[in-house]
Amino acid sequence: MNERTEKRGRFLVVAAIVASLALVFTYLAAGGSSYEPAKTQDPCKPRPWRDPEGLQQIAEQFSLSALDGAACQLGVSRETLARALATPESRKRFAQRYGISDAELARAIRAGLLRAVDDAERAGVLNPLLGAPLRATIRQIPIDQAIELIKDARSLLDNLESFLGPAGGLIEQFLP
Amino acid sequence: MTAPRPRLAALAIAVGLVLADSSIVVLALPEIYRDLDTSVAGVTWVLISFNLVMALAAVPAAHLARRIGPGRAAAVGLAVFAGAGLACGLAAELSTLIAARCVQAVGGAIAVTAVLELLPATVGSERRAVAIWATAGATGAALGPALGGLLTELVSWQSIFLAQAPIAILAGVPILAVARHEATTGVVSTELRRTGRPHLLANLALAMVSAAIAAALFLLVLLLIEGWRLSPIGAAIVVSVMPLAALLGARLGPDAGSERARAAAGAILVAGGLGGLALLPKAEVVLTVPPQLLVGFGLALVLSALTETALAGRAPQAIHGGWTISARHAGVAIGLIALTPLFTSDIAQQRHDAIDASTAIVLDSRVEPLLKLQLAQRIEDRLEGERGKVPTLGPAFEPLPEDPGDRADVIQLREELQDQLDRGATHAFSPSFGLGALIGLLALIPIGLARRVDL
Repeated sequence: MNERTEKRGRFLVVAAIVASLALVFTYLAAGGSSYEPAKTQDPCKPRPWRDPEGLQQIAEQFSLSALDGAACQLGVSRETLARALATPESRKRFAQRYGISDAELARAIRAGLLRAVDDAERAGVLNPLLGAPLRATIRQIPIDQAIELIKDARSLLDNLESFLGPAGGLIEQFLP
Repeated sequence: MTAPRPRLAALAIAVGLVLADSSIVVLALPEIYRDLDTSVAGVTWVLISFNLVMALAAVPAAHLARRIGPGRAAAVGLAVFAGAGLACGLAAELSTLIAARCVQAVGGAIAVTAVLELLPATVGSERRAVAIWATAGATGAALGPALGGLLTELVSWQSIFLAQAPIAILAGVPILAVARHEATTGVVSTELRRTGRPHLLANLALAMVSAAIAAALFLLVLLLIEGWRLSPIGAAIVVSVMPLAALLGARLGPDAGSERARAAAGAILVAGGLGGLALLPKAEVVLTVPPQLLVGFGLALVLSALTETALAGRAPQAIHGGWTISARHAGVAIGLIALTPLFTSDIAQQRHDAIDASTAIVLDSRVEPLLKLQLAQRIEDRLEGERGKVPTLGPAFEPLPEDPGDRADVIQLREELQDQLDRGATHAFSPSFGLGALIGLLALIPIGLARRVDL
């Protein structure tokens, strides 16, 4: 092996190291190590309500809180549960995949709705006087109606009278 | 006997064709996966089976070639390879395809080791013969995926195998003259000598580097097609950067440094390129180009240098060539077997995380609540429709709302969601690319030890 070939060989190895390190460090500097999907929040941790203004936004925050509460109870993410509740078929698939019975799902959804009432009270958008009858109603409503409430809580807040009976009309006055 | 030039071309084509086969179906795997209704793990056996059988059959095939004569062995090997290729193209089930691939590998192993015995007589120098054999093999392996992708897109995945048969037969025609000569004279042109020990360190390094290169090719193709949703032809164009860089690397030749230096530089470049692929900062095709340049350039350097090292001063060439073929294909097979469970579980987890992240964006967005519900439902429908894969969420947003404000919100939402899916798909491949880079770097150990032991 002549000296010239030896020298070229050393240069080749150094050039390979430089090129490889340059690529790796450039990609690291451009954010290569953190290019991954956003992490979803633990549904068991409280999520602050964002400036609810008006019935629609309150209803939306109420739904999200209820989803968090139910997902926490079932040990899944809020997002997985939201997709599961989209249709009866997706609900069935979800129940099969996670081995959850109808009774467990119903309990979790009611627990979620109760947490939403708590959160609404804490956020100051629901008068505490409303809490007790709402909780009593939530404990008794059928599963399908509870799911509809999670999906769109406006039906609850718009029609309190139909849910709470004659007292609902009175209670509506306490809503912002 | 045929003139040396057409025979040389035929021999080089035979080696390139057989060794291209270890990677040619890479771009067709997603099509095969859909067509034969199998799993990602199942379809990888179309690749693994060929490489595994090649690894097991190469050395016995070399002994056979020396026993019956390399001309006859090459002709028989190419005929078996062509016949099995036809069976692959006509296979309607995964098990049939895998069985035919195994037979194809046996034929390929016989042909490619026999060619190494025929080459020195054709080119007049053993060293040149080894260089041509190694370059033809590296070129075939590097060009394979791009050719396979083009055929898959333009015709079908079956055409990859059906097209090989006539090429193998054409390459066999000039070799038949040698076979006839052997038959009429009864002379086996190679002298039967006792075989020496194979070069363990060079072959070990070859196996490790081949595992890393398999990771680069196979995973990049899956990322492009399954993760970033490119068409096979689009992916073929993208991955053609690697063979182009390999052709450039092959031009450097032995003058660029000692075998050890070229092997070390090649392994470092392969590892660096895989490191770059593990750290892609965005789901953009252009960002795969610099890593591919490094891998392509590196593979040409390291494969030829290690093959030359493994064969230098060793006789008979066919047997030691058989060992290098065995090492390379064992590396590819082991790399794929080790990486498949890792990336399939990562894909499933990242898909789940990306979809959760996308749903979170929908839930927390400011679009109208009823639209949110519809979107959640449509996303769920897309997931069911494209089970096990990264879904294309665009259609879930059709039709766009007519109100300009809502329309802008929904378009922004669609882009954010697609970004999350791209992040998930790209991130799913990072650990596997990283493992490939590590294997490439570990190959430096046998490369570094090789000179001290027995070069």
